[in-house]
Amino acid sequence: MVFSYNWLKEYIKLPKPEKLAELLTMHAFEVEEIKKAGKDYVLDIDVLPNRGSDCFSHIGIARECAAFTNSRLQIPKFKLKEDKNLKTRNSVAVEVKNKNDCSRYTARVIANVKVGPSPKWIQERLKVCGLRPINNIVDATNYVMLETGQPLHAFDLDKISNKKIIVRRAKNGEKIITLDNKRYNLDKDILVIADVKNPLAVAGIKGGKKAEIDKKTKTIVLESANFDSRIVRKSSKKLGLKTDASWRFEHGIDPSLTETGINRAAEIIQNIAKGKITSGLVDFYPKKVLPKKIKLDYRYLTKLLGLKIERKDVKQILKRLGFKIIKEEHPILIVEIPTFRLDISLPEDLIEEIGRIYGFQRIPAAFPIVSLIPPKRNFEIFWEDITKNILKESGFTEVYNYSFIGEKEAEVFKSAVEVENPMSVEQKYLRPSLIPNLLKNVIDNFRYFNEIKIFELGKIFPKERLEKRMLAGLITGDAFYQAKGVVDSLLKKLGISNIWYDEYKPTPEQSKIFIWQKERCAEIKVDGQEIGFLGEISPGIFKKTKVVIFDIDFEKLIKLCSEEHEYQPISQYPAAIRDLAVLVPLDVKVVDVLNKINVAGGALVRDVDLFDIYEGEGIVQGKKNLAFHIIYQAEDRTLKSKEIDKIHQKIIKILEENPEWEVRK
Amino acid sequence: MRKPLKIKTKGDKIDVTVPGEKPTVGHLHPLTLVKRKVEEIFQAMGFSVIEGPEIENEWYNFDALNIPKDHPARDMWDTFYLKNGLLLRTHTSPVQIRYMEKNNPPFRIVVPGRIFRHEATDASHETNFYQVEGLMVGKDVSAANFKAIIDEFLLRFFGKQVKSRLRPSFFPFTEPSFEVDMTCLVCQGKGCSTCSRTGWIELMGAGMVHPNVLKAGGINPKNWQGFAFGIGMDRLAMMKYKINDIRLFYSGDLRFLEQF
Repeated sequence: MVFSYNWLKEYIKLPKPEKLAELLTMHAFEVEEIKKAGKDYVLDIDVLPNRGSDCFSHIGIARECAAFTNSRLQIPKFKLKEDKNLKTRNSVAVEVKNKNDCSRYTARVIANVKVGPSPKWIQERLKVCGLRPINNIVDATNYVMLETGQPLHAFDLDKISNKKIIVRRAKNGEKIITLDNKRYNLDKDILVIADVKNPLAVAGIKGGKKAEIDKKTKTIVLESANFDSRIVRKSSKKLGLKTDASWRFEHGIDPSLTETGINRAAEIIQNIAKGKITSGLVDFYPKKVLPKKIKLDYRYLTKLLGLKIERKDVKQILKRLGFKIIKEEHPILIVEIPTFRLDISLPEDLIEEIGRIYGFQRIPAAFPIVSLIPPKRNFEIFWEDITKNILKESGFTEVYNYSFIGEKEAEVFKSAVEVENPMSVEQKYLRPSLIPNLLKNVIDNFRYFNEIKIFELGKIFPKERLEKRMLAGLITGDAFYQAKGVVDSLLKKLGISNIWYDEYKPTPEQSKIFIWQKERCAEIKVDGQEIGFLGEISPGIFKKTKVVIFDIDFEKLIKLCSEEHEYQPISQYPAAIRDLAVLVPLDVKVVDVLNKINVAGGALVRDVDLFDIYEGEGIVQGKKNLAFHIIYQAEDRTLKSKEIDKIHQKIIKILEENPEWEVRK
Repeated sequence: MRKPLKIKTKGDKIDVTVPGEKPTVGHLHPLTLVKRKVEEIFQAMGFSVIEGPEIENEWYNFDALNIPKDHPARDMWDTFYLKNGLLLRTHTSPVQIRYMEKNNPPFRIVVPGRIFRHEATDASHETNFYQVEGLMVGKDVSAANFKAIIDEFLLRFFGKQVKSRLRPSFFPFTEPSFEVDMTCLVCQGKGCSTCSRTGWIELMGAGMVHPNVLKAGGINPKNWQGFAFGIGMDRLAMMKYKINDIRLFYSGDLRFLEQF
């Protein structure tokens, strides 16, 4: 909010604008900018949201400055000259339907005014603060708003039917045309100022055309009221109307300020537009607001800030802020809070006041004294870190993608959780999988990189109320076995054994989603549990290039991880390698052959390594050749050739039990 | 992608200026590196690392944190809404409440996590990004304790003499509330265009936990007090690595990611 430096100086002695800005920033509100404006300076002050009620005004800011400089606040007293022959209560009637919507309504009447342009000094001040001068009546109300923080409104009394003002909720279907010629539809959630026939203004927000002040206006009625902040906020949102007045009401205002505001406005109008002020104030104020009392324990102040402030300094600060100390019994202080501080209701609020005026920069750094219990290890993060390290070591680059996907990607997944208020069409849904954005990464990077290895570990949202952590990796190209090797290596390093890969048999639900290329995809299983998938992506959904993805349920994975690692003693005795090649039908799975070899070979087969798969030229049609290194080793002796031959023959015999299998000799 | 140069050395003399064969390495995301560093520093000071859900409800995200409905304070956070009163969390603060509900003080935790803001994207704003929350509650945990811990964090994170200063701010969930500035790294505090010639850069919000928040977590504010803070991790990463656009973190651009 912008403030005029010269205007502030009217109420208090101030240092130079730069110094003032620094002091405000360190003790109250950040000053975003200081700009020269003719002979004046404009300060853009970032008034904190909880201080709108007292600091959206020049007097409020001046009061703040008095608290942290040592100057005294000088607010000139305003003097009204009322006309004894005219009584306000005979000139206008006010009825407030619900005191919860409007806790106070004051009105004054000024007769025989001359509407015209306002004097230069008012126009200048309004302009410096970003408001447009209109006429002397409206300008006076705006001036008082900028000065005191109380918004006011002026009506042409002669245009008000029956000279009666009613503060009520609008009726469904009622309409209003505002001062700037815009039409609005009203309903019962909106508070209006009305006469017996029509709405005259949207309460606290904007005036209507019906009772508009114009050149011919002779008698005005001034409104200075306190409207419920929540209803003004709701109305403002509903109508899409935000004004300097509504902004102040939304933050809440001190009801005592209505009286100050209206008297000040009447005085100014009398000076600049002439007119006779009727005597008396019409004042609807059923429940007077009383100052709050707070008990402050001096020890708590010291304990919370970790800073010892002298008692006399504490009392002086409270005094400079306008707080009254009504009782003192050390270490307790009973403090009375002025009604203009709507934000103060707890001892902690007082401690903040004392601390900031004294200076938060004076709080020393002091380490806490705590017990030496080390924190418990967070296992999710522990395994996450290890997983990421392993993938990095395997040559993958980690990506972070948006948690959102667009319509196109959501279609592939058939169902995705919708965001009610997305920022864009591309972010309309929550991602049900990491895969769509990984595919997008390939498209975006393909110009510069034609071999891509990326992974992401993040949350997906498969259905409403559900979020799940997944690990997904992508390799471009014909990389199925490369990806399989990575998954094997990763799971092994995480201490997981009994990993196997099963053909992907999609459930009827899953079949509807054609991400994976048929017959080129596997379920990754640990014991009996499926923990993820590994396969080629169907060219139906991704055409740019061949791509292999592994997609693992990270939460399931963590449950299986183990740090336990048993060292395998290295045999002192040499190993012997024998090769074995077997011709099998194309549909035979390597794992079945491997299993047969291991079972037949027994404990002395230390390892079986597939080193070649060959089909095509030189091989019988419908068959493929699998070649293995079989590594024989015993822990307690050197195996003799004869022993090895015996086992090797046994293996061959078992393999050839199947008539279609042929061991090459 | 260019194929790595495989040059065999010939003869007795080796031309030492020929570029070496680059091994194929992977890369971790800069936010992962920053997250790990932050966790490491706070764990060294005895803080536990806790995580929480990305989908929240209004109570945990706002009401329990003393941010009532129909109050201008709610405007401070632009929210993504889901059906049935659910939303995407706008800060990691809800986890403070979740932790307090299940744990008795004294304790100290940090909560890293992804958060969401319904804001237009630009070089310093994104729809999803990362924050680290801190919460320490004890019998006499004070603002002075906070200052010591944050100064220690700055020293260990930026690795050099970085000062901090506290100035007044407002958050519904803390009272007193602070804005914490740090020495501008670009000009070492002398004043430059990055810090609008003040010598200070805004770092994070913090404050003493509001009694209403302690109550919402089931902790008696008469017996316990503490501080809380929230640091933007993307911000930390941008300052550490001199990155000027937050959108790079979520772009998946390998030319960016392979620099880390």
